[in-house]
Amino acid sequence: MRELDFVNVRKSYASPAGDLLVALDDFTLTVDSGRFVTVVGPSGCGKTTLLRMAAGLLPPDEGGAIRLDGEPLAGPSPKMSMVFQGIGLMPWKSIFDNVALGLQLQAHRAKLTAEERERIAATLALVGLTGFERYYPHQLSGGMQQRVGLARALVRQPEILLMDEPFGALDAQTRTVLQDELLTLWGRIKSTVLFITHDLDEAIYLSDRVVIMSRRPGRIKQVLEVKLTRPRFSYDARAEPEFARLRHIAWQSIKEEL
Amino acid sequence: MSQSSLPLERAKPAKAPGGAASLLAMVGRSTAAMVVLSGIGFLVLWQVVSMNVSPVILPAPAAVFTAFIALTLSGELVYATLATIWPFAIGLVLGFAVGTVMGLLLGIFRPAARVLDPYIFVGWSIPNIAWLPLFIAWFGVGNLTLIIFVFISAVFPQLLTVEAGAKEADSFLVEVARSLGGNKREILYNVVLPSSLPYIIAGLRIAVGRALVGIIVGQLLIVATGIGYMFQFYGETLSLAKYFAPLIVIAVLAILLNRGVNWAERAFIPWKTRAFT
Repeated sequence: MRELDFVNVRKSYASPAGDLLVALDDFTLTVDSGRFVTVVGPSGCGKTTLLRMAAGLLPPDEGGAIRLDGEPLAGPSPKMSMVFQGIGLMPWKSIFDNVALGLQLQAHRAKLTAEERERIAATLALVGLTGFERYYPHQLSGGMQQRVGLARALVRQPEILLMDEPFGALDAQTRTVLQDELLTLWGRIKSTVLFITHDLDEAIYLSDRVVIMSRRPGRIKQVLEVKLTRPRFSYDARAEPEFARLRHIAWQSIKEEL
Repeated sequence: MSQSSLPLERAKPAKAPGGAASLLAMVGRSTAAMVVLSGIGFLVLWQVVSMNVSPVILPAPAAVFTAFIALTLSGELVYATLATIWPFAIGLVLGFAVGTVMGLLLGIFRPAARVLDPYIFVGWSIPNIAWLPLFIAWFGVGNLTLIIFVFISAVFPQLLTVEAGAKEADSFLVEVARSLGGNKREILYNVVLPSSLPYIIAGLRIAVGRALVGIIVGQLLIVATGIGYMFQFYGETLSLAKYFAPLIVIAVLAILLNRGVNWAERAFIPWKTRAFT
């Protein structure tokens, strides 16, 4: 089992003026094992807050709970990996060492075994970066850097993959290519994915379920089931009538929140 | 990885001018030629000035050279240099090590830093020389006091620079490391330490300069040996040609140390792209 449950999750911050600012409220959702679930919403609806809480980087307010396989989440879990929009590669580490860091911090062990070195090489091959092991991040394009970010997450063989607008900073072509690659990879690893984006197209194309949020304080407004067949291929899937129908519903729903 | 040069370089002239102008243009493009030419120019200027003033004001380059050879052959300069280098090296290495470790720790344990920062800042602000009578009273007249004086000179700039660097560690990269499961020790080693390396090197550059001042002042005022004492002795006896010999030693030492720091910078921070080369 690798299921992520949110029960009545709420997160508030003290605003600079001293009063309470509720970023996310009354969020209850079960991300079923092996499903690809995407949360979309206007900016400021608490999407990133939600994902940081899911990653164990931020505790929810009292009364709410996040459970991983039924167990309350008490901090970052070795069963999870997170991919960030800002990527967050260590500039001083080579590509190989950046991916290795995902394993080293998971196992709390700096020394890599031969098996782990092979796994890193295999993961780099998976994201198409064989031959770039000794490069530094600044020598790679944005798209290649995010592939490294993905490799660092996947090398941990995560049961749950958290992705916070991972393609948000990339150009449109690179983004489309990486979306396809992500689906191909996910088809092999079949981990549970919780994905955040503000791009409706991306949300529908990738997901089994799309969760639409209201504006702040972010609440679940609508949940769409995406019944498009898999495997999906970028422009073919987007050309289907079902895709257009879902996109229309989602847009009507989100437009009221902008 | 060579960085592309920026458009700060002057564009090359479309047509090469002839004669002296083309020679100048050629020299202008070669750093090595410029270094040699500026050295020759310096010596020529020195010679011209020394021919027009009394040797007590400025001895001629040839006189300085002769004195330098004589002091080297007699062993005086060699002995003084050795007597200077080892307490300098011990004090600097200790100051660098303690300053770096404490700077990193204070950079990440901010509550501890808030308690200690005032003391450190006071220690840094007091002119080094003010410590000397105290150190002599505590540790006597000898190399121990000298080493401690060099240590004090080096440790504060190192500590303050590294602390400033460590606390500026990218909070996003720290969060990434936390999301991967990193504990405080792992984050220190994988994020804070490497991101502080440019500061560690910058601190070292300042610490080296401070320690050089410290060793000379210390030898002058505490132990009456080494290069520092040669300055005092030949200065007071107005033997200016000999006075220049320890000056040359210090200059060479300073240049070598700076080269060493430059090397460390390139060796330990290979990921940094530089805007100006």
